[in-house]
Amino acid sequence: MNPAGTAVALAAGLAAAGAAAGALLPGRARVPAVGLCTAGLGTAGLAAGTAALDGVRWSARLPGLLPLAGAHLAVDALSGLFMAVAGAVVLAVAVYGIGYAAGRGPYGVASRGVQSALPVFALTLVLVPAAASVSTFLLLWEAMALTSLVLVLAEQRGRPAVREAGVWYAVMTQLGLVLLLAGLALFAAGAGGETFTALRAGAPALSPAARGTVFVLVAAAFASKAGMVPLHPWLPRAHPEAPSNVSALMSAAMVNLGAYGIVRVAFDLLGGGPRWGWLLVLGTGALSAVHGILQAAMASDLKRLLAHSTSENLGLVLVGVGAAGLFASAGHPLPAALALAAAFLHVVNHAVFKALLFCAAGSVARATGLRDLDRMGGLRARMPATAGFFAVAALGAVALPPGNGFISEWLLLQSLIEGLTVPGVSTAVVLPLAVAVIALSAGLSAAVFVKALGVGFFARPRSERAAAAGESPPGMLLGMGLLGLGCTGLALVPGMLGDGLSRAVAVAAPGGGPPLTGDSLELRLEHLATSLSPLWAAAALAAGLLAALALVRVTARRGRRSHVKLWDCGGGAPTARMSYTATSFAEPLQRVFDDVLAPEQGVDVTPVRASTYLVERVSFRRSVPDRIERRLYQPLIGAVDRLGEAARRLAPGSAHRYLGYGFCGLVALLLTLAASR
Amino acid sequence: MDDGSGSGGGAPDAGGRKGPLRTGGAGGLPGARAGSGAGGDPAHVDGEAVQAARDAVHVDVPDAAHAVQAAPEADRAATPDRGVRTDRAVRTDRAPGHPPVPPPARTATSAPAPAGGDPGRPTAPHSYGTEDSVPRLPSLVPWLGLVSPLAILTCGAVLATELPGAAPLTACGPLLRADALTAWILLVVGAVATVACAATPAHLAHERPDPAAARRYHLLVHAFLAAMSVAVLAADLGVLWVAVEATTLVTAFLVGHRRTRASVEAAWKYTVICSAGIALALLGTVLIYYAARQAGVPEAAALDWTTLAARADRLDPDVTRLAVGLVVLGFGAKAGLAPLHAWLPDAHSQAPAPVSALMSGVLLSVAFAGLLRYKTIADAALGPGYTRGLLTGCALLTLAVAAALLLGQRDYKRMLAYSSMEHMSLIALGAAVGTPLALSAALLHMAGHGLAKAVAFCASGHVQRLLGTTRIGRVRGLLARAPALGTVFGLAVVALLGLPPFSLFASELGIVRAAFAAGTGGYAVAALVLALLAFAALAARTARMLLGPPPSPPSGDRAEAPVRLGPAAVLPPVCGLLACALLGVTAGPLTRLLTAAGDLLGGR
Amino acid sequence: MNDSVFTQLLDLACGAFLLAAVAVLWLRQLTSIVRAFAFQGVALAAVAALLGLREGRGELLAVAAGVGLLRAGALPHLMRRVLAASRPGDGGGRYEEDVSEARETRPLVNVAASLLSAALLTFLAYAVARPLVALDPTPATRALPVALAVVLIGFFTLVTRRRALAQVVGFLLLDNGITATAFLAASGVPLIVELGVSFDVLLAVLVLQILTTRMRAAFGGTGIDDLRELRDR
Repeated sequence: MNPAGTAVALAAGLAAAGAAAGALLPGRARVPAVGLCTAGLGTAGLAAGTAALDGVRWSARLPGLLPLAGAHLAVDALSGLFMAVAGAVVLAVAVYGIGYAAGRGPYGVASRGVQSALPVFALTLVLVPAAASVSTFLLLWEAMALTSLVLVLAEQRGRPAVREAGVWYAVMTQLGLVLLLAGLALFAAGAGGETFTALRAGAPALSPAARGTVFVLVAAAFASKAGMVPLHPWLPRAHPEAPSNVSALMSAAMVNLGAYGIVRVAFDLLGGGPRWGWLLVLGTGALSAVHGILQAAMASDLKRLLAHSTSENLGLVLVGVGAAGLFASAGHPLPAALALAAAFLHVVNHAVFKALLFCAAGSVARATGLRDLDRMGGLRARMPATAGFFAVAALGAVALPPGNGFISEWLLLQSLIEGLTVPGVSTAVVLPLAVAVIALSAGLSAAVFVKALGVGFFARPRSERAAAAGESPPGMLLGMGLLGLGCTGLALVPGMLGDGLSRAVAVAAPGGGPPLTGDSLELRLEHLATSLSPLWAAAALAAGLLAALALVRVTARRGRRSHVKLWDCGGGAPTARMSYTATSFAEPLQRVFDDVLAPEQGVDVTPVRASTYLVERVSFRRSVPDRIERRLYQPLIGAVDRLGEAARRLAPGSAHRYLGYGFCGLVALLLTLAASR
Repeated sequence: MDDGSGSGGGAPDAGGRKGPLRTGGAGGLPGARAGSGAGGDPAHVDGEAVQAARDAVHVDVPDAAHAVQAAPEADRAATPDRGVRTDRAVRTDRAPGHPPVPPPARTATSAPAPAGGDPGRPTAPHSYGTEDSVPRLPSLVPWLGLVSPLAILTCGAVLATELPGAAPLTACGPLLRADALTAWILLVVGAVATVACAATPAHLAHERPDPAAARRYHLLVHAFLAAMSVAVLAADLGVLWVAVEATTLVTAFLVGHRRTRASVEAAWKYTVICSAGIALALLGTVLIYYAARQAGVPEAAALDWTTLAARADRLDPDVTRLAVGLVVLGFGAKAGLAPLHAWLPDAHSQAPAPVSALMSGVLLSVAFAGLLRYKTIADAALGPGYTRGLLTGCALLTLAVAAALLLGQRDYKRMLAYSSMEHMSLIALGAAVGTPLALSAALLHMAGHGLAKAVAFCASGHVQRLLGTTRIGRVRGLLARAPALGTVFGLAVVALLGLPPFSLFASELGIVRAAFAAGTGGYAVAALVLALLAFAALAARTARMLLGPPPSPPSGDRAEAPVRLGPAAVLPPVCGLLACALLGVTAGPLTRLLTAAGDLLGGR
Repeated sequence: MNDSVFTQLLDLACGAFLLAAVAVLWLRQLTSIVRAFAFQGVALAAVAALLGLREGRGELLAVAAGVGLLRAGALPHLMRRVLAASRPGDGGGRYEEDVSEARETRPLVNVAASLLSAALLTFLAYAVARPLVALDPTPATRALPVALAVVLIGFFTLVTRRRALAQVVGFLLLDNGITATAFLAASGVPLIVELGVSFDVLLAVLVLQILTTRMRAAFGGTGIDDLRELRDR
């Protein structure tokens, strides 16, 4: 029995059971049952992915499914990597979700619709990488879109912003589908078949124009799913408005599929894209990374901050993918393999720490009802475990040692620097810029996460709800603990993934040996003869810290503590309201990037009725809008609205006009026929 | 602008009756009236109370309802010569001088079973039986209407098992003929008609009990189904034309069933535009007959489809071109394709919901199937390029018009009607491509669209009855107010948007793939972009209608409990949705039939 | 009869046919329009009868008689009934008749432009019918452009008239033109189709008559311009 196949079948069965449980079971039994089924599904997905990473291959044909086409599934190392990531995230978030949704009312995240959609969404996350024909891929893609839409709309009764987020999400997902459908249908038409094997075989027969068109369409569609500029506005709307376990799934598992799609179609099926296409991908990734982290720096809504950070990280992944493609199209498979391996490792790392970040944010939201960093504070004392988990994940996100993000970004930088050896003007110009972008985004992400952790968790509570917070129930802590374990494991022993990653890279960019190997102690880059040993580094860091602490302890003068009143400039004791808020923390950054961000501010002065010289009330507003949305989307939406208003004149209710349309059509037909003889 | 919300029975007879009575339609959710303001349809409240009184059938009518019922009579008696302005007078003069009407009963159960009123309400219980009569069992008579659709479905199923791979069957001499296409269309007609007729008792239960009107309604519906079946089974193009024309005449009265001003207007426009269109199709048929006679086909067989399809290469190309162009315009008018499309939104928004379901699902499909018959003849005589160009032009024009008019749409029934136009244009695009895959996908799309649209219209009929308005802006929080109804409507719209697991996803995918494979990818991309606009409009409007908290009642009453519709109202739409989803997951035993029909139309 | 007599009589009948259509476009009193339509029905029956006599087919003569009865007899009678119903009842004395219902007011396209359009449509019909005539050049088919012109003029009438009854006449002109095409091109269509078409036309007029009555009841008149409530604008 093929372990991957059994695991996939098990996952499908558990999804069906979970959906049925969610739809049919009453109140209190619903959430645990669905959570357990989803956790089992995640485990099965993880097992299937791990088996595939170990070299197992599996494929299946289901001709009766999906009328006019037929379902084809196939698992190889590349899909196994993404399936494993999705499965692991689903497992942890499902365990977390049991506690998160328990005890909520009958509407919202514990309702029938949401709970029955959750296992199906998880199944699609696990199965999209296993699709092996155009129709199956699109079916699973759209099913993922539909179920995630239902999940995003979970809390629509309580908050009106959720509806708008849902509509944006639905329309932009459909736009991505249109682009994807056009690209893949063109590909299938040119290659003469719709299964991936047929596409792979027929790809050399495509003309360069068709190849370029397919590449651009498909890359645009997958870039939209990954939250890349300019097709990104759905991400900062949908992720915050969804319940936190759903946000974790979307940010940590769904957006990865955008990267998977580009690698699968452009590297594997098309056999490589045009050079300018890869430059486009790299440029988009770099731009999105900078844009995302800047928006995250300005955000004071915790979940919006995390959503923008997702955009940044996926931008870095696409920088790696684009660089790999660039090197491969120039005929240098070794740097290409390394860049791709770095991108994949970053996908894995990002999945784990982003899921943990969202879960912790969900804990905070559940305990305090707040998403606004400016009103939180003092949570470290009240929710120590959550704060600890957030800190671990934030360490990964800022890409500093000993966090897990450091390793993948270091690998990415290594691959880009090594790629400077590839000849060509474009590489010489673009790669140093890419390195600079990575450095900039790493620096800014440090600021962002210090803001999130410090302002959100430290200092004193800035509102009553923050003061009233309590720790999350053990179920949620267990889920977060699993993810924390993952983070630490990836930070300390990433070498264990070396072989799997190499196999995955070999599917997409064959040629050259495995780029990464490793074991529990070190991670080796084969072609560069370099190695990194995070375990030793972490041990050294820990030893150094202990030594420093010991030194301080020993040499500190045992003096008496004296209690003295601090000079407070005559203002009185500082209150919690006077501490740094997220907005004030970000203000220097906003001043530095003023030209790029173009913040808007407005001051309203309400004078007293009796005299305009006396002020009754002043209100100040500042917002940092998304300039791309402002410049690109709002005019477009305005134009579409005007088109709709103008088009209403087509149906004015006059029977004469309606019959006149027909008459004109008839006369036009007759004239054409008479003239064309 | 009238919000088209007149529902329920009108004046009992034509003749000199001035002004329709606005009854029904308002199902007792006073929150709906909150935002109505000055123009605020107190007549609906009156109408609802009057209807509730009439539903109760007995003398136990509250005083307020009595006073209200007396008032329209008084108005009408006092102003015999004000003609048709009466209804407007009823609306605007209503407010002063009449006692406030208590919130009407929520007669939300569908079957004519005892309706439970709200506990603690001041009016009398609106139960069908009073204390001294035996509670009646739900009558089976309204369900007898299911016999003919089920018969059609069974015949279609029998033909579907017999036909793929076998020769076409004939009956009644040269008149009737059944091949794979016939079997598929009969299945579609049967399935959609079953859903629509099963939903009819729930709709009619809330109209005024007028036996003559109900009898006429059922007679016309079944005559419609008979004419559609003859059109599908016709072997002779002339008989096909006669049957399609007959349906126009039958449905004219169905569209005008409600006897309100708006429905008379809709019926007139429908009849005139469709008759003009179908007359053009007759001209096309006559010209084909002429060309066939000149090609040496004997008179008795000159309009027989099989003979024409076999001898099509001998038809004169110029005459055939003219004839086919006229037929595309004519049958396209019945199928909702531009330029003679304008009857569709008016007719669908004014007809009773089951009739709209039948028209959208059955009429459009059968008209298009007739067009496909002519297409095979044209392709054999002229080569595929001519009809491809003609149908693509019509399809893209219709899609553009439908997408543009969806963008600013304010009425949800018209929104569904324009969505029908959009889907018919996708079917036309599939037919234009002409390959067997494209035609199979177009036929599958007909089936899926028929089912989903029938469910959507039936649900919208209930929404109109409950809330008394067809304006999108006045419907809010439907999922919260009426969960089952909101879910059904939402799922129907999800199906229409082309999302899995419903079959419209698979068929749209098939059409696009076939279009690219045949080299007409540019048109497919244009269609996809326009369909994206329509998607955005439809999604935004449906979200506005369904999502959000239930609006708070105006006078600070306690929040209402969600409206529960009875099983007779919910079960048929749910079955329709399940059938559509099943068709989308697997075509199962129908795959052979579908491929056979596709090969028949496109493989030659 | 010999060829030249047949051709002349046929051309006379077709000319009368076309003239009746143009007259419908020109006249404004509804009673006159119905009379012109009845005249056209007679011309159509004459065309069919001539063809029947020429080819010596009895059933064509029977069909001609049926067509004449329907289109010159039954249908105008139905329409006159609709006109009569629109006149308000006699108040017991000889009151002033309200003639607004009985004539076209403020035409959508003025008479000169209508006649010009009729001429242009006739040209178009001649251009379109060239392949039809070229397929089988007989005296009958050479008169086909007239039938097509009547079709186009009928559609034009349907589009531009403001009274419901005038729209019905336009539709019937359209149908007359198609029947004439059938006769001239192929000496009629198979009997069952002919019966079906006639029956459908009769039913169509009945339906339109009932709808006109309902329209009068609901709107207080039969002006098409009053039908403006269902719209998107």
